[in-house]
Amino acid sequence: MKLAAKELQVRRGKKEIIKNASVFVKDKQFVGLIGPNGCGKSTLLKSIYKSLTPHSGTVFLNNLDVLSSSEKKVSQHLGVVGQFNEMSFDLTVEQMVLLGRTPHKKLLEPDQSADYAIVEAALRRTRLLDYRTRSYLSLSGGEKQRVILARTIAQQPELMILDEPTNHLDIRYQFEILSCVKQLGISVLAALHDLDLAVMYCDYIYAVKDGEIYAHGKPEDVLTPETVEALYQIKCQTYINPVTHRLGFAYGI
Amino acid sequence: MVGREANRSWIGRFYLPVLLLLLFFIAVSTVYSVSIGQVHIPFRQSMNILLHVLTGGRLGSLNGIEESYFNIIYQIRMPRVIFALLIGMGLSLCGAVMQATVQNPLADPYIIGISSGASLGATVAILIGFGSGTLFANFGIAFGAFAGAAVTSVAVLLLSSIGGKATSVKLILSGVVVGAFCSSFSNLVIYFANNAEGVQQVAFWSMGSLAQSSWEKIPILSVVVLIGCVLFLFQHRVLNAMLLGDESAVTLGINLSVFRKLYMILAALITGTMVAYAGTIGFVGLIVPHICRGLFGADHKRLIPATLLVGSLFLIWADILSRILIHNVDLPIGIITSVIGSPLFIYMIVKKGYNFGG
Repeated sequence: MKLAAKELQVRRGKKEIIKNASVFVKDKQFVGLIGPNGCGKSTLLKSIYKSLTPHSGTVFLNNLDVLSSSEKKVSQHLGVVGQFNEMSFDLTVEQMVLLGRTPHKKLLEPDQSADYAIVEAALRRTRLLDYRTRSYLSLSGGEKQRVILARTIAQQPELMILDEPTNHLDIRYQFEILSCVKQLGISVLAALHDLDLAVMYCDYIYAVKDGEIYAHGKPEDVLTPETVEALYQIKCQTYINPVTHRLGFAYGI
Repeated sequence: MVGREANRSWIGRFYLPVLLLLLFFIAVSTVYSVSIGQVHIPFRQSMNILLHVLTGGRLGSLNGIEESYFNIIYQIRMPRVIFALLIGMGLSLCGAVMQATVQNPLADPYIIGISSGASLGATVAILIGFGSGTLFANFGIAFGAFAGAAVTSVAVLLLSSIGGKATSVKLILSGVVVGAFCSSFSNLVIYFANNAEGVQQVAFWSMGSLAQSSWEKIPILSVVVLIGCVLFLFQHRVLNAMLLGDESAVTLGINLSVFRKLYMILAALITGTMVAYAGTIGFVGLIVPHICRGLFGADHKRLIPATLLVGSLFLIWADILSRILIHNVDLPIGIITSVIGSPLFIYMIVKKGYNFGG
């Protein structure tokens, strides 16, 4: 599934948070969104997945006009793993993942065995099969994030948006989550903190600064010392990591 | 990490049998409730009257039964137990729905200012009155209470929608503010009222009572409550998505601000009707959903049916107690629900297994 978000503009009060930003994701492409805290990454993503209405611009998923379609229609194609997943009431892990089937269900339609099979597959992919009856709120941050990922997988989206999915997670979970998403083989648009992870997983990168697309291209083309310095206001040098043979970053030098 | 089950309670594993058992208890309690009261009517006779009424005279002989006994059972106790059943159901349903809607375990059916709005309406009706001889004089308190509830809930909804989405925090705060405004107005009316009997009536009304139950009121009450119950039994997908919050619900295709308003209006309508007939009965709508969550988990597919049944059973027994606890005194049921409710709540706080959703 292709995503084309063109010339998006988001204002909050008088302040322009997103200024004329365009983002494209090709079919089965893993696209990263990088940039410092508060640069507008989350806002940009929210305006794509209908949590925020942009003041101008268009968003298309293939031929589906996202901004004028219903939430339900959009959510049948677009899944989101967000940043905050706390709630005031508790569900079991299985119930939580089953909620991922919501977009595909009519109001009165019961959950079929097919839905449970999809949920089971999602739990297996995220290695949560043993967690089924566990209480969601008792899980650790990394486990919670895996449950949310499983829920989004059960949603069977053709495009997945991830908003800093690896925040607060330790290295193992960071890799686990992103590898799991990569293996799905669907289109992905992910806001990421960690440049090493971005290099490792992304096919294409958009760098956001002050609500604008500062640069975009293949990771090795975008992540030059100059761009990183401009984005994060920190001295940076890049090198080829001798072990991974990928681009590496040395900060503050 | 030690595994902690969300459906910790063993009762939760036997969901259907427990529901059937609850239905059975409700049936038994209903019969028991009809058979006891301040006037002693022999059990056999009350059963005969009950059978006679239920089967339209085919079963149950009225031979040798005093007419006053028949009237007490048919005109007073039967409508009263039906009231208890329906209102228990309605209050618990609205409580569960409100808790999901505002994503807050502290919510109850009165959270959006309904009780204080209804109190204001009832106070005005009792102390100022609509004048005798008019159409409204007949409806009196019920009309005033319903109008008050309707106006306040609309006011709260409008207030919370100012500046875009009606978020749960804005809803709760608007409810508190409008509630305070209405209470102060009620107090003003009471302060200047030169009517000791009326003031006492207001106090009695605000404690909640089933003493005004009658067959004439049952059609409206049952239609409103039962339609509400059936509707919300099928809303579990949306209610569950509500627990996740606005952000996640949107990504699952559910626009919460639309459903939130819809549910608020429905719950306000149901609660307004109940309040109009029985005053404000506290604690039921708060505690019953929590008891059921503790037993069966927060999934609304299981929670709503259980809540309806436990709610009826709870209020039927609260009503029985209110009639037999003190000889020759018909206590306001609101006192009983709080007296039973508070210790139950304390027990749930003390017990480790349940943490009120959080």
